[in-house]
Amino acid sequence: MGKPSDLVQRTLDVLIVKTIALEPKHGWAIAKRIPQISREVHQMQQGSLYPALHRLEQCGWVKAKWKEHRDRPGSQVLLIDCQRTRPGRTGSRELEPPFRRTQFGRVETT
Amino acid sequence: MMWRLWLRLQTLFRRERNVQRLDDEIQFHIDQQIAENCAAGMSPEEARYAAMRTFGNPTVLKEETRDTWGWTWPEQMAQDLRYGARALAKNPGFTMVAVLAVALGIGVNTGIFSVLNGVALKLLPVPRADEIVGVDQRFHGRVRRNVHGEPGLFSYSEYRDYRANNHVLSGLLAYAPFLEATLAGDSPQQLAGAETSCNFFAVLGERPALGRTFVEEDCRAPGASPVVVLGDELWRSRFGADPLIVGKSVSLNRAKFVVIGIAAPGFLGLDPWPSAFWAPITMQKALEPDTDLLSEDNTGWLALLGRMRPGATLAEVRADLGVIAARTDQQYPGRTTTLVVHRATFLGRPEERKAVFGIGALVLASVGLVLLIACANVANLLLARASTRQREIAIRLSIGGSRWRIIRQLLTESLLLAFLGGTLGSLVAFWSVEGVARLVLAHLPHGAPRLEWNVSPDLRVWGYALALTAFTGIVFGLAPALHASNQDLSTALKGDGGRFIGKAASGGVLRSALVGVQVAVCMMLLIAAGLLIRSLYLAQTGDPGFQMKGITQAQFNLPSQGYSAEKAQAFQSELISRVEGLPGVDGVEQAQVTPLSHEFLGTGLTPAGETESRQFEFNVVSPGFFAMLGMPVVRGRTFTAAEARSEAPVLLISESTARQLWPGQDAVRKTLSNGKGKEYQVVGVVKDSQVSHLGHSDGLFFYRPGGPAEQDQLQLLVHSKGGDTATANGIRAAARALDGNLMVDVTKLADNLEAWRTPSRIVAALSFVLGTLALLLASIGVHGVVSYGVSQRIREIGIRMTLGASGRDVMSLAVRQALRPVVIGALVGVIGCAAVSQVLSDALYGLGAHDPIAFIGVPLLLLGVALLASYIPARRASRVDPVTALRYE
Repeated sequence: MGKPSDLVQRTLDVLIVKTIALEPKHGWAIAKRIPQISREVHQMQQGSLYPALHRLEQCGWVKAKWKEHRDRPGSQVLLIDCQRTRPGRTGSRELEPPFRRTQFGRVETT
Repeated sequence: MMWRLWLRLQTLFRRERNVQRLDDEIQFHIDQQIAENCAAGMSPEEARYAAMRTFGNPTVLKEETRDTWGWTWPEQMAQDLRYGARALAKNPGFTMVAVLAVALGIGVNTGIFSVLNGVALKLLPVPRADEIVGVDQRFHGRVRRNVHGEPGLFSYSEYRDYRANNHVLSGLLAYAPFLEATLAGDSPQQLAGAETSCNFFAVLGERPALGRTFVEEDCRAPGASPVVVLGDELWRSRFGADPLIVGKSVSLNRAKFVVIGIAAPGFLGLDPWPSAFWAPITMQKALEPDTDLLSEDNTGWLALLGRMRPGATLAEVRADLGVIAARTDQQYPGRTTTLVVHRATFLGRPEERKAVFGIGALVLASVGLVLLIACANVANLLLARASTRQREIAIRLSIGGSRWRIIRQLLTESLLLAFLGGTLGSLVAFWSVEGVARLVLAHLPHGAPRLEWNVSPDLRVWGYALALTAFTGIVFGLAPALHASNQDLSTALKGDGGRFIGKAASGGVLRSALVGVQVAVCMMLLIAAGLLIRSLYLAQTGDPGFQMKGITQAQFNLPSQGYSAEKAQAFQSELISRVEGLPGVDGVEQAQVTPLSHEFLGTGLTPAGETESRQFEFNVVSPGFFAMLGMPVVRGRTFTAAEARSEAPVLLISESTARQLWPGQDAVRKTLSNGKGKEYQVVGVVKDSQVSHLGHSDGLFFYRPGGPAEQDQLQLLVHSKGGDTATANGIRAAARALDGNLMVDVTKLADNLEAWRTPSRIVAALSFVLGTLALLLASIGVHGVVSYGVSQRIREIGIRMTLGASGRDVMSLAVRQALRPVVIGALVGVIGCAAVSQVLSDALYGLGAHDPIAFIGVPLLLLGVALLASYIPARRASRVDPVTALRYE
């Protein structure tokens, strides 16, 4: 099984940071939100969100803490929040350019 | 930064909890998706499948997520280790054999290395030993120089020059390493000691346990300060650890010395032979009355050690001292001196190092070969096991395991095996090596110097064992791992590919090659062992060509005890007449060196009619010497007593000398000159015998009568019919009555043989052990391969037998196939050994390097063992019941 290409991974990273820019969300919510904000361009397996989230946490873009989910008392979910310091907040803007929407609906590098 | 570190640590130490939470979360995600799908109107079943589809493979994704936590490497390693340990534990028989093989190989290697380390690699046992350097000199060009000990040593004036004029050393000490002295007392004792410069202890940083060490005042003038520092061991054994000894005086070589201090326990000097005392260098004449080395500017007798200033490098020291050497050379036109500067260790002088490392390399190479055989065995076992795990590996490969990951896992397993074996072997080696070294040192022949080695393991030995273990694990693990992970998946999954007629079982070539290598290496070791053991046998039983039975030797050093020639003459004649009066004694003769005593006299003589001088060995003897030793005079006559008394210039030469100098002529009445105008006449020719070197009797050799002026140099040979012990005691008593403080060493002449036989005995014992080990390992290897081959091909054998092959046919097939690599390996081994056996020729007594008995007998033995090893499993093959065989598996 090959690794996802760097571009696709980066794109996902940016999308995640954008998704949580307004308020902290948990994994399930992020997975639902990403297709919306990328206008269905970014097709992904929902599961690949998790490696990406953990990677972002490890390199300090997002912060996570465990919280009880309001729909499911007793089960903990990871509430993902933007890192309040750099590069999380500014990161999303800095990293916006690497993809743009082409007329064929694909993602390309600039 | 701190936060990230915290995260990382958390992922390491709270891994279990994190894994659990990740599982929960992903489960939650999937449940949510299912709920959503149900809400959209799917059936529960459908909803679950759809959710899984949109999510992806949870196992792989979890794994990927865990990867992002870092620590994948240790995690996988821990996994591999757990898995490897489980696999090894499941197969205790295999594990035990493999671990033992590795333990043997590594244990022997580590043991030998720790001896080498103790002898020549450890720094000196003094504080901050890494600053201490040894200095040696090499002369080139026109060199005339006197040497006491070794050619690289310095004279006293050279030492003072280097000490005063260098800019890189915080201190430079000198000492005379080869000094013996007799300590007077009720029973005189011969001690090894050293004459040292007075900064000796200061430069080394050694403090005395009691009293003081030398101060510069002690070395102010020759003979001015008779003081001595005693070694701890001598102080305890001889003086009962009496603290009041300081300030009292002792007598060394008849000179009185005041004890000023006791060295710290454990300080034994700077050589492997421990020093019992240290005296100032300026007292040299008092300890060695027959020489005055302090005033001889061109006589080398002092070893130099310096302590570098902080920050100085070896190159700087070499350059700085080189300037002084060049200045000294100006006094000796045509001579250039180069200096060898090295970190000081035991046996640090270049000649000694060359010898030690030569022997060390040879021994390490041969134990390395044993390790190689052990590795080949383990590799073979692993290969055989890998093929039973073929299907497991094929499944892992086909569900997406990467090849590298599988190789890594197999390697981890073999490394685990290597570490088990290596640890076991090293521990046993560390535990036993000191005992073994002590045992060997305690059995050195009479007259050998007492040696003391600290062979206890240090960091270097541990490092060596570790590196060797890792290397071993990779060596025996790599080939099987590569082989196992590189397979045809479809065949492997089908299960019984590669086990059929005409096709060698998988890995067959590799396995045969391993057996071939094993046999070749084993053959080399065995032939070497065979040669050495044959030479030992010859040495034990060989006839040296002269009579030793009933002869007792009495050896003493009169010049060191201050005897003049006249005094020596009186002493000798009195001693001889007393010994002649002992019961049973029927002959007393004199010789400067007793036969085979490891002391050699050499000089150059020019035969009449030639211009170049030839190098001779010689001995100075009394007229009856030849009769006592049973050496017939084949031409001419022996000396007369009158010739001995008048110091007449007459010689006896050996037969082979006569043959070499005057072939086809009568040697009697020929003359030789010594280059200083003195002419010697040959009066007789005596039969060749190995009086000087055991195993050799063909060098140029002459005998000269010992005159009155040489009486201080001569030793006694006493022939007696009675008991040797009684005679020896009689000689000791007679000598003690004449001079109570003279050290007289009385032994049987035949004891001299021991010193010649011991090296070959040690070497032969070592090579016998190694050869046996190698043979054992190799035959296990052959046996393993054949029985594996038989078990793999049992169905083929069944078919052959069903089709009419007899048990004999099957057996010969199995044996033939097994022996092919053995024969090839044996051939390679014989050729290889023939190429390198020249190395051994020094240790071979009376035997060519290509001794036919060893070169034919050993291969036959090995082939016989291999045949036996393959016969047992082959016989099993021939007894296979075809019906059972066809149903096999």
